[in-house]
Amino acid sequence: MTFLSNTLLLAQVSAEDVAREIARLQRNYAFLSYGLCAAWIILVGYVLMMVGRERSLKREIANLKAMLEEKHK
Amino acid sequence: MRNTILYCLGAAVILLLVRDINLIAGFPEEKSQGAIFKIIFFHVPLAITAMLCSMVSLVASVMFLKTKNFRYDALAVAITEVGLAFLLGNLVTGSIWARVIWGVWWVWDVRLTSALVCWLLYAGYLMLRRAIEEPTQRATFAAAFSIFAFIDWPIVYLSIRLFRTQHPGPVFLSSQGSFPHDWTMAIFGPFGVLMAMMMLATVMTFVRLGQEDSKRELDSLRRMAHAM
Repeated sequence: MTFLSNTLLLAQVSAEDVAREIARLQRNYAFLSYGLCAAWIILVGYVLMMVGRERSLKREIANLKAMLEEKHK
Repeated sequence: MRNTILYCLGAAVILLLVRDINLIAGFPEEKSQGAIFKIIFFHVPLAITAMLCSMVSLVASVMFLKTKNFRYDALAVAITEVGLAFLLGNLVTGSIWARVIWGVWWVWDVRLTSALVCWLLYAGYLMLRRAIEEPTQRATFAAAFSIFAFIDWPIVYLSIRLFRTQHPGPVFLSSQGSFPHDWTMAIFGPFGVLMAMMMLATVMTFVRLGQEDSKRELDSLRRMAHAM
């Protein structure tokens, strides 16, 4: 019975319907990957920003310390 | 020692996330939305982590106003900045989901608008800090602003409960929605995405706190150089 109803249902599906469904699924996966990539890019971008800030702070501290030592001499 | 703990926590976050992404990839697709539904596994933890960051910032701001201890001010600014990154992730993932399901990137719905206002408020908090030079005045004004900005969070949380919104209704901690147990555990479980996000936020906050210490050291060195 199930086999019969499935066969009848499949008979009503055109090639266009199948193509449309495949395109919808592909679009869904593409947007899912965009979403995940965007979330990670934001977080990784923030981490990289922090790394850059850390480096510039350390450089400035080292420069100032060197300058102060020079003045002491 | 502190750095070792942070590296270990960071490694644990990566392991947890790899585990969770593997687990989520194995879940079946949601019946009506398809694969894009799986964005909820990141969208919701990002929002909750941002909200928790704001709560900590609120407590730190209140403690600063009470004690005038600058450690609280440093904690408030560090965790606000981290929370802002998480909230931005939440807004962007939500917008991408909306493009597929609603056909538009954005709607001026109560939930979306209040979340955007929240992001703008906390961005304003960081801008306010840059605008004031004197440290005590800066910390006091910023603490007061942070307390004011937190008022938006209850609006964000309650918007889908109190108003009829285009944003889906609550599915967690509510009688309206039903979410399969294993899906709920993938978010809220002890090894879930929320735990990974909270650990990541903790690591980021500690790194950012270290930078605040460096800034203070830099300020004192500048004062010394200026005095000479």
